[in-house]
Amino acid sequence: MEFLVFIVVAAVAVAASIMVVLQRNAMYSALFLVLAFFCFAVFYVLLGAYFLAVVQVAVYAGAIMVLMLFVIMLLNVAQPEPPDRRLGMLRPFGAIVAAVLVFELLAAVGRSYVSPAAGAAAAVPTPAAAAGATLASSTLRPATAAATATPAAGQLTVGAATAGHTQLLAATLFTRYLFPFEVTSVLLLGAILGATILARKRPEVA
Amino acid sequence: MPTTLPSLPATVPTEWYLAVSAVLFAIGTAGVFLRKNALTIFMSVELMLNAVNLSFVAFSRQFGQFDGQILVFFVMAVAAAEVAVGLAIMIDIFRSRHSVDIDDVSWLRG
Repeated sequence: MEFLVFIVVAAVAVAASIMVVLQRNAMYSALFLVLAFFCFAVFYVLLGAYFLAVVQVAVYAGAIMVLMLFVIMLLNVAQPEPPDRRLGMLRPFGAIVAAVLVFELLAAVGRSYVSPAAGAAAAVPTPAAAAGATLASSTLRPATAAATATPAAGQLTVGAATAGHTQLLAATLFTRYLFPFEVTSVLLLGAILGATILARKRPEVA
Repeated sequence: MPTTLPSLPATVPTEWYLAVSAVLFAIGTAGVFLRKNALTIFMSVELMLNAVNLSFVAFSRQFGQFDGQILVFFVMAVAAAEVAVGLAIMIDIFRSRHSVDIDDVSWLRG
């Protein structure tokens, strides 16, 4: 069943991505990209990253693509592109390079052997069970009964606590990766300032 | 209807996710090469970022650690910041050139 979902979603994602690249109308490209983002969210659910799937839909499909669609409609650039003028001769080389890249990447993936981790080899690689075996920075010991155990009632207790995926992710994020988290917030502040200053109307010079 | 989802068996191998990620990354690269509209190039870059995110999450599940997923979290935050600033730049360029065609903005003058 999981294989079937994976195959179907992978086919839809690849088809949507090809349509993003090939569509002449930027609006259609954006909508196909939203479809591709939803396919990525399904992949994250298949991989057990439920929080990331929700964040993918909320941030990428819900915020970034909406912003892009606003700009596309604001600048009115949704017309089909005119034929190439100067670099027309070099365009096919881009397709050739991309095809070579696909071949190389698939060859690298096919020739490699991703060995399973020692702690997770015997058990099924669910986030709860695997994180309990190898999570070094947290003292959570989530129950290994179910993959999506309900989160504890606000308390992170050592021992027989049941923790959901979001809770485990947050436990690592706010302990080991606290400094990058704070730096990211400063980065977002800089982005807000930069975008506001760049996009404001300039006063007309007399 | 069970109240909790069953445990995910180790069915879909990690290599399959990596292959899908590789194909999508290459499609995004082709989009950056082939398109003239700056916004479509931007969307192709976002496609590449998402392909790499997929690799991160696949490896995170493979090795049973959350570091990959946290990196994806940071990549999403940085991508959001980059899109905001990049689109602001494009709006500013559009005001003077009245075009987002990259062939029209290939000269630094003006």
